[in-house]
Amino acid sequence: MKRFLAAIAAAALLTSLTAFAAYPERPIKMIVPWAAGGDTDNIFRPFAPQFQKHVGQTVVIANVGGASGTKGAKEAKESPPDGYTLYSVHEYIHSTYYTGVADVNYTDFEPICLISSTPSVLTASPKTPWKDWKALLEDAKKRPGQITVGATLGSTSHFFPALVEKAAGIKFKYVSYEGLAPRMNAILGGHIDLTDSNLTQKGKVEAGQLRFIAIATEKRNAEIPNVPTLKELGVNVVYDVNRGLLAPKGTPADVLAKLESACAAAAKEPAFAEALKKQGTAARYLGRKEYSQWLKKNDDLNKTLAKDLGLLKR
Amino acid sequence: MGRDGIAGLVCLAASLGLLAATRGLPDASLLVPVGPGFYPRIVLGITAALSALLVATDIWSRRRRTPVAAEPPIPANYLLVVLAFAIVGLYVALLPFVGYRLATFGFVAALQVTLEPPRNWKGWLAVAATAFLTTIVTYFVFERYLSVLLPRGRWTDF
Amino acid sequence: MYELLLAGIANILQLKYLLPLFVGTLVGVIGGALPGVTIALTIIVVLPFTFGLDPLQGLAAMTGVYVGGSAGGLITACLLGIPGTPSAIATTFDGFPMARNGEPGRAMWLGIWASFFGGLLGGVFLIGATAPLAAIALEFGPWEFFSLFVFALSMVAGLTGASLTKGLLSGAIGLVITVMGNDPVMGAARLTLGIGFLEGGIPFLPVLIGVFAFAQIMTDIEKMRAIGTVGIAERIPTLVVSQLRVIGEIFSRPFLLLWTSFIGLLVGVLPAIGGSAANMMAYDQAKKLSRHPERFGTGTPEGIIASESANNANVGGSLVTIMAFGIPGDIVTAVMLGAMTIHGIQSGPLFISQQPKLAYGIFAAYLVAHVLMVIIIAFSARPMLRLTTVPKSMLIPIVLVLCVIGAYSLNNTMSIVYVLLVFGVMGYALVKFGFPLAPLILGVVLGDQIEINMIRAIMTDSDPWLFFTRPISGGLLAASVVSVAFALWQHHRQRKRGAPADGDTDF
Repeated sequence: MKRFLAAIAAAALLTSLTAFAAYPERPIKMIVPWAAGGDTDNIFRPFAPQFQKHVGQTVVIANVGGASGTKGAKEAKESPPDGYTLYSVHEYIHSTYYTGVADVNYTDFEPICLISSTPSVLTASPKTPWKDWKALLEDAKKRPGQITVGATLGSTSHFFPALVEKAAGIKFKYVSYEGLAPRMNAILGGHIDLTDSNLTQKGKVEAGQLRFIAIATEKRNAEIPNVPTLKELGVNVVYDVNRGLLAPKGTPADVLAKLESACAAAAKEPAFAEALKKQGTAARYLGRKEYSQWLKKNDDLNKTLAKDLGLLKR
Repeated sequence: MGRDGIAGLVCLAASLGLLAATRGLPDASLLVPVGPGFYPRIVLGITAALSALLVATDIWSRRRRTPVAAEPPIPANYLLVVLAFAIVGLYVALLPFVGYRLATFGFVAALQVTLEPPRNWKGWLAVAATAFLTTIVTYFVFERYLSVLLPRGRWTDF
Repeated sequence: MYELLLAGIANILQLKYLLPLFVGTLVGVIGGALPGVTIALTIIVVLPFTFGLDPLQGLAAMTGVYVGGSAGGLITACLLGIPGTPSAIATTFDGFPMARNGEPGRAMWLGIWASFFGGLLGGVFLIGATAPLAAIALEFGPWEFFSLFVFALSMVAGLTGASLTKGLLSGAIGLVITVMGNDPVMGAARLTLGIGFLEGGIPFLPVLIGVFAFAQIMTDIEKMRAIGTVGIAERIPTLVVSQLRVIGEIFSRPFLLLWTSFIGLLVGVLPAIGGSAANMMAYDQAKKLSRHPERFGTGTPEGIIASESANNANVGGSLVTIMAFGIPGDIVTAVMLGAMTIHGIQSGPLFISQQPKLAYGIFAAYLVAHVLMVIIIAFSARPMLRLTTVPKSMLIPIVLVLCVIGAYSLNNTMSIVYVLLVFGVMGYALVKFGFPLAPLILGVVLGDQIEINMIRAIMTDSDPWLFFTRPISGGLLAASVVSVAFALWQHHRQRKRGAPADGDTDF
């Protein structure tokens, strides 16, 4: 046994001594800046094995949660730009920058690809009296600044209700609940009145534990045909959360190209499409160039939003 | 002043130092009614109070009772502890530069030799074998099977 | 309901499911036993292997890791005095002294059977009382959570034998550790001492590994050459004990077993506390309720039974919360939940009624894993025991390497390893100054949650009196005051009796 181990050991030393192989020659770390089991994690976990298949190396997800997702952002920014650290993001990278929560900007990274789009749904606790948007609106007008909304401050779950606030001319009170999981706990227990959620919570709505008030899409969603869109209720808000992959600034172009092609192939995998569907999420692929343009546009949009909402800090 | 008194003073100084460091922190914002310094100040206040209490009880109990002669059962080998900490420190410091495999081999060997110097060639062989096997087995298990990307040496690239 | 459970057990006993369950439990026991490898790390590592399996296979493997890991920690806790996982911290308090007193077999088997029965009690409760317990947990708002955590901390601070002031101070130092870095709401940097990587805050795992492993190892090193030769190889102790006697020892304390299992279960049901708090709270309870609290820490069977029954019952409780609500309590359950989602399972209130086969399959896997756990530890007890006969000079470097890897693998960065080292020095210093370490660890585990729940409460309603006027919250705060007062009274009584209550190594 010992001799066998020694032989393996010697062989291992030899193989690891051989000169550089082409990228990627060792496992790739994918930073998810929130806890495992959250929405972003649930999208990138099924993505990772597909991505791994096409990039030809092990892909490890590292959940670096905390401080509205900015802890992971900082770590990703400080990682060496060698293509061995990737960073999974959504709009929060713009919103946390402009609301002054984070110092990390999207320009600190190279875009690789966009993979998914999840529409936001305004969701109420069953302990609230509102059966629909009309009742909520009336109540909100009567008690400005008293209806509590659970949100990750400065992030998408804060922006979405803030947009609704502005469009409907009402005022909410925000309570910090970072990530969907703790928000769900609080809203099920009635400790907050409203929150931003998505189609993954359909089961809880059917069980009468949550109430979907309205969805922030252009058209009603086939999965929940009874839930009206905010637009048809006269609230002009369309909001979704788009998730993509970035790499630290300065990552070599050939590495980026390799990552992009792996991402494109992985995004097309039927297994991934199936996983997205379970997350109430639409597949939305954009390559490096398109994603870059999209990021720029989205950045301007978020800056405007932050300014309009009075949250702009820089 | 005894052991508790010293510990209390150290904690008191640290609490007060950190408490002073919370001064520059921003105040409550529109979104959050309490600033980032609110809770730390409460906690540091508690540690400061408890440290002061520790110092006070130490002095008080000493005045009341004449100290009983302390009985050191085994003379502790603090030199060895300091050496061990130094070796661990060196290992951690060198890890990113010489890489996991070399650093670990060196560390396991060095610490073993320090803790119990080998008396003959068999002893040295055991040290080398332990160091080698520890390095290789952990490297294989973690890097190859568990996808923990162990540090690579910046100097050695190994 | 019980027909469903029997069908579930029959289902899980098929080789197709039994094999992943067995492998999961084995890996869990090993991962749980290795210091520096937590259940969380083990379960994260196992997760990718389950992707290719069908949902019940995958979840059976994960359940096995969770159950095996929660029990596996007791092996190193008893034999080496280092908790293999955070949920075995309190097991070291009495398990290690008992092993040192020449009864390692008794210590270990007490732990194993306590885990087994605690786990089974947890399972009975899990299957029978999911709905009402979940309803209680749901009523907890930020006020109640704040008060609950304060209560937990004050109870554990009273756990130390030496001095209440030092216990409380140790817990408060734990809280200070969590405030350094950034605030949990807006992420504003605070108290970083100008060190860049501290801006991300101090993670819990390296603090735990550092404080415990170094305090233990360095106090061992202290005694090494001073005695002349290395203090090992006294004799090869035997692990063979009369199983009937050990089981009898547990059942002769039925109230203790029931009560500590109940604590473990309750802590598991409440999100965000987790196994690392459950075993310490249960230990504290056992000590408070004992007629001989002074025997705790010297190798009393009650301490082992309390800690181990609670941490395995805790698994049952955590499973309730993720299955009924889809809310993870800690990293381990978060990964479990992630695994469910990956396998296309929408956990939540509809889960049990819509997918009874799967739900009862998980219940069955949980129960069967306990049987497997006993078998696995029984057969691996010998090789595990070798760990104690290996010269310390050989073992110490290896354990330290595993500690470094454990910290490093948290997110593959060196900065965590530096944190580990700093807290290693601190842990050793604290022990030398006679501070108990358990309150510090609990403070570090709960600190962020205490702060965030306090701020949430203030953000929801600016009235601070709600902490006292909301019945559950007020009750818990009153209980914390009572707990401290009780500890004070106990210390006072002890001092009057003239018992010298001071020890260097009561961690």
